[in-house]
Amino acid sequence: MMGRTIVIDPGRCIGCQACVSACRECDSHRGRSMIHLDYLDQGNSVASSPTVCMHCEDPLAPCAQVCPAEAILVTPDGVVHDADKSRCIGCGNCVNACPMGVPKIDLAAKLQFKCNLCYDRTSYGLAPMCATVCPTGSIFYGTLDELRSERPGVEVASTFDIDGTILSTGVAVVVPGDRPRDLPLPGGAGEHPRVTGSPQPAGHLEPNADNVLGEPL
Amino acid sequence: MLLKRHEQHFSFHSIGRMRPVVAGIVTALVLCAAIYLGSRGLHNFDSALAPYAIASVFLAFGIAYRYTVWISSPGARRLFKKGWGAALSWQNMRRAPTALPRMIATYLGFQKFLGARSRSRWAAHQLIFWGCVLAALITFPLSWGWFTFTSPTGSGPQYSMNLWGFSLAKFDALSVVGWIAFHGLDLAAVLVIAGATYFLVRRMRDREAGTGQRFGYDLVPLLALIIISVTGLLLTFSSVFLHGGGYQFLAVLHMAAVVLTLLYLPFGKFFHIAQRPAAVGMQLFKYTEHGSVQPCRVCGEPIDTTAYVENLRGTMQDLKLGFDQVVLTCPRCKRLARGQAYRTEVKRGF
Repeated sequence: MMGRTIVIDPGRCIGCQACVSACRECDSHRGRSMIHLDYLDQGNSVASSPTVCMHCEDPLAPCAQVCPAEAILVTPDGVVHDADKSRCIGCGNCVNACPMGVPKIDLAAKLQFKCNLCYDRTSYGLAPMCATVCPTGSIFYGTLDELRSERPGVEVASTFDIDGTILSTGVAVVVPGDRPRDLPLPGGAGEHPRVTGSPQPAGHLEPNADNVLGEPL
Repeated sequence: MLLKRHEQHFSFHSIGRMRPVVAGIVTALVLCAAIYLGSRGLHNFDSALAPYAIASVFLAFGIAYRYTVWISSPGARRLFKKGWGAALSWQNMRRAPTALPRMIATYLGFQKFLGARSRSRWAAHQLIFWGCVLAALITFPLSWGWFTFTSPTGSGPQYSMNLWGFSLAKFDALSVVGWIAFHGLDLAAVLVIAGATYFLVRRMRDREAGTGQRFGYDLVPLLALIIISVTGLLLTFSSVFLHGGGYQFLAVLHMAAVVLTLLYLPFGKFFHIAQRPAAVGMQLFKYTEHGSVQPCRVCGEPIDTTAYVENLRGTMQDLKLGFDQVVLTCPRCKRLARGQAYRTEVKRGF
C-alpha cells in the first residue's frame, strides 16, 4: 500500500454519483469519467460500490504487463498511469486482463483511459477529485494514520484473492475491525451464478459500452 | 554433466540476451551493403553527406535493437506473430484483399484515430507526419548515394533525376517542377515547424498534456524537430539572401541536430513510428478472426473475438499471471461480482 493513497469504504457509498461528476472535471482526462459506480443489486437494494484503479503492486500492474505497446507507465511512487497517447494501439488487452474491471477504451480513438489517481493533483499534494467531493467519506485520500485520526480503530485491507492468486494493491478497502488482518478480500472472479458459456458466432451478441470488440473495418 | 547443462543453459541465455545486438548488427550491415550497391560502388556517394549516412547506419542498428527488445516481451511477441501472420496470410488476402491497404491508408497515412481524439491534434500531427515523410524520402536516398541529380550541360538548367544510377525523370531547374524538386526539404521544414510548434505550445499550456510529462520524452522530440527544420531553412536563407554567409556554421549545426535526433530516435517518443504499425496487425488479426465471439460468462455480452481472448489468456499465462480466466468475464461483471462478494462476505448487508 502506498503512503498517501485512496481508501474505499463501499459500506459508506450512497450512490450519489458525485465522484463520477467530479472525475469528469479532472484536468488530465477532461469530460470523461474514469471512476465506475456500480449498483450491486439493482431493484432489490440501494447498495452501490465505487471502483477506482487499485494500482496493483504485486503482481505489478497486470494491465501494464500485458500491454503489447509498452504504453502503460508505472512511476516509482506506485501510480499506474493511463496509456501513453503516442503508444496505445487500442487493443483492449488491459481492459480484459484487469481483474478489477477498471480500464476503459475508446475504440475510434484507439486509446485506453483509466484512473491515474488524478496525477495532476496528487503529484502536487492535492487529493483526487473523487475523494475531494465524496460526501460520505466512502472515498478517502490520505495516510492510514490520517484515516485513523478521523475514524478511530478502522482497519483496511489491500490484498485480494483473484481465483486463488493473491493480488496486493496500492489502494486499500475498509474492512470490519474483527476481520483477520492478513485475510485477503474476495476478488469475486470465481462467482458465476449464470454461466453463459461458449463462443458465439459474430452478430449474435449486441456489444455494450465496456467491450473492446469494435466494428470490423 | 551438471557443468555441461549449466553451460548449455548459459549459452541459451546469452543467445537470448544477444539477439537484439545481433539483429542490430545484421540490419546495419544490410544497410551498408545497400548503400554500397545503390551508390554503384560508392561512385555516386556524396562524401559531404557521409555524417548523415553514418548516422543512418547507427539508426538502423538502434531501430532493430530496440524493436527486438520490444517484441521479446510476451504481449508484443504474441501480437507480432499474430499480426504479421494475419497480414501475410494468403487466405486473408483472397478473402479481404482491400483490408490491409485500406488499414494502412486510414491508420498509418491519414491517422483517422487521431481525428477521434482531437481534430486540431490530428491536423498538427498530419503536418509533422507528411513533413517528415517528405524529408525522409529526400534525405535518406540522397545521403546513401541512391538519389542523384546530373546535368548533361554541366550547370543546368536541364537536370536528370536518377535513382541507383538509372534516370527517373528529366526537368528544367528553372521550372516549377525544378523549384519543388530543389526546395522539397524547405517545404517539409515549413510543415514540421507548424505542427511541432502547435504541440509545443499545447504542452506548455494544456494541463492534460502537462500531466506527468517528461522533458526528455515529451519535449526533446518537438524541440529536435523544430531545431532541424529551422536550421535547414536558415541554410536556404543563407544561400539566397546572405550569399552563403554563415553557411558553414549552419551546416554543422544542422548536421549535429539531425545526427543526434537519428541516434535518439529508437529510444524515445519517436519509437512510436516503429510501434504504430502494430495497430494494423492487431486490427487485422481481430478482423480476420471476427467469425467467432467470446461472450461474458456471467452476462453474455461480447468480450472480444475468441481468437483474441485466447491470445490474451496465453499472454497472461506466459507472464505467470495465474488469473487468466478473468478474461472470460466482462469488466462490469468483474466489478459487480467483487462488490457482491464484499457485501456478502466482508461487510454483510451494508
